[in-house]
Amino acid sequence: MSLWRRATSLRFRLLAATLVALVLALLLAGVLLSGLFRDHVMRQFEAALTQQLDQVTARLEFDAAGQPLIDPQALSDPRWQKPYSGLYWQLDRTTADGLSRAGVLRSRSLWDTSLPLLADELADGAVHVHQGKGPLDAPLLILERKVKIAEQPDARWRIVVAADLQEVTGAVDSFNGVMAASLAVLLVLLVLAALAQVAVGLSPLRTMQRALADVHEGRTQRLQGRFPTEVQPLIDDFNDVLDRNTEVVARARTQAGNLAHALKTPLSVLDQAAAGTLAAQGSELARLVKEQVGLSRRHIDWHLARARVAATQRLPGQRTALGPVLAGLVRVMERVHAARGVAITVQAADVPLFFAGEEQDLQEMLGNLLDNACKWAGSTVTVHAEAVMGSKPPQMQIHIQDDGPGINAAHLALVGARGLRLDESVPGTGLGLAIVQDLVGLYGGELTLQPAGGGGLRATLRLPAATAFGASAGVRA
Amino acid sequence: MRILLVEDEPTLRAQLRAGLVDAGYAVDVADNGRDAHFLGATEAFDAVVLDLGLPVLDGLTVLKRWRDGGRTMPVLILTARDNWHDKVAGIDAGADDYLTKPFHMEELLARVRALIRRASGLASAVLQCGALALDTRSGRVTLAGQPVSLTSHEYKVLDYLMHRPGAVVSRTELTEHIYAQDFERDSNTIEVFVGRLRRKLPPELIETVRGLGYRLVPPP
Repeated sequence: MSLWRRATSLRFRLLAATLVALVLALLLAGVLLSGLFRDHVMRQFEAALTQQLDQVTARLEFDAAGQPLIDPQALSDPRWQKPYSGLYWQLDRTTADGLSRAGVLRSRSLWDTSLPLLADELADGAVHVHQGKGPLDAPLLILERKVKIAEQPDARWRIVVAADLQEVTGAVDSFNGVMAASLAVLLVLLVLAALAQVAVGLSPLRTMQRALADVHEGRTQRLQGRFPTEVQPLIDDFNDVLDRNTEVVARARTQAGNLAHALKTPLSVLDQAAAGTLAAQGSELARLVKEQVGLSRRHIDWHLARARVAATQRLPGQRTALGPVLAGLVRVMERVHAARGVAITVQAADVPLFFAGEEQDLQEMLGNLLDNACKWAGSTVTVHAEAVMGSKPPQMQIHIQDDGPGINAAHLALVGARGLRLDESVPGTGLGLAIVQDLVGLYGGELTLQPAGGGGLRATLRLPAATAFGASAGVRA
Repeated sequence: MRILLVEDEPTLRAQLRAGLVDAGYAVDVADNGRDAHFLGATEAFDAVVLDLGLPVLDGLTVLKRWRDGGRTMPVLILTARDNWHDKVAGIDAGADDYLTKPFHMEELLARVRALIRRASGLASAVLQCGALALDTRSGRVTLAGQPVSLTSHEYKVLDYLMHRPGAVVSRTELTEHIYAQDFERDSNTIEVFVGRLRRKLPPELIETVRGLGYRLVPPP
């Protein structure tokens, strides 16, 4: 199947749309969840750090000389003591003239570095949150608060605490990892569910496809089976069309037959009357009437046959078992040619053969060929049917062979020309082979006439075959 | 030989009847399926010429009913529908031969002759009994090669007897098969015809089986 046809298939469309929607939804969910989690963790982290800031603020004392003092022992968290532990405090001083000095006091964990001086103005007592770089270039969350003490009205003290953000990013990263994995698993499960849904949802279409294939292969005349309410109207309409087609062909046939009946009886009357007069008086008029009646009859036969052939569209869903048709015609031949004592032998194929077409057409083709063979046969007519091996679409071959005088090569080419009769002494219209050839052409078959081994004529009819029931029909996927 | 002709078209019926009578057959006619069925089921016919397109009851149904009722006389069907489907249906309904309209009278007569001969189990168109020969195609009777002149009734009696070689044929049976239904039948006339035939042919040829009828005896 080509890429384009794949792209236009319903299955592909449904799956593609579902997949795109799923991926988008899951991505969005991932981003949202990750953001929420990050926010939450940050808030927790900030809250913890605010507590630390409060503690440091509470431990800030001033000695008699007005120098600030923070007793490291008073701060419980051991990380304050461990160098570069990721938790730091620092005290900055801003004098009344606006000059600032960073790191008047620092936590032991800052070792010999200090936190960068932050350039913003704080209202007294306000807490600010920043992010910045600390020792070893670690990303830090920085909280600061400005305090003023009554003893030193001009000086402003800024207490800064900072914590390493790697804790937060680590938690967020591991959360993201777990979440991505779960979302991926969810995606896989949803895609599987979508596949199942599409398969279940589209299964009626598959059934329809099989039913159509059955009709095409001629296993059924109509689409069989119950379909969902969305599809059933289409199926019903299609079946109606099939029925109507069959009906139209049948009606055309009946009308052709009725016309034949309506015309031929008066022609018979004319012919009998003319024959009687001709015998009695030898009248020129009678001779003319007789001649023209004969001509009219052949015209009627020819055009009716053509009309019938034209009415035979190759309707889908037709199959005709070869065996019964052949048997019926052989019964006719045995009865009609009984006086000539012609023995008809039918060698059937190993498997039942089915003609992919209309029963009456098959009857017409085989009937004319068999009748011809019986008319000319010395004593035997042999019919042999077989499937053509490896033909695609399947074909079958029917050989009809007589042991009569045969036709010489020069005449063989002329046989089947409209109304040509090589021997006027044998009754018939001479249209038989021409009609056979028309029908064979219509079905895309082939008729070959060749001299048979024993001196007679061998007619080989190659026709499209329908597959047998139960055989793999090659459902087009 | 007595024939039932079933045809609904009056002119064609009259023509066919004339043709068959000219050929030496006693002809009964019917113009619809119901009458045809009744006649065929109750009267003895040597052959039936049956048109398929009939009013009241179509030809195929009539034929099927005859066959279902055990009537075995040969039937030639006339059909305007020149397709094999109808021919198969006709033969399967019990017809012995078919003829497609329009046809020549000679063709019809040839088919009827062949059917009657086949029904009697005779192969040749020329019936033989010793030196006596009857050509069913031309209606000529010869004795040792010399033509014998017969009236139409004499011919009918001889024709019927020659189709039943060696069989005893009753006077009633002879009457039934040489006269059409509407004819004034008198079995005594049969004796007259047989008497005339005995004068024209070797007298020992037609044997009288007392109380039963007549038998054609080939000379030893």
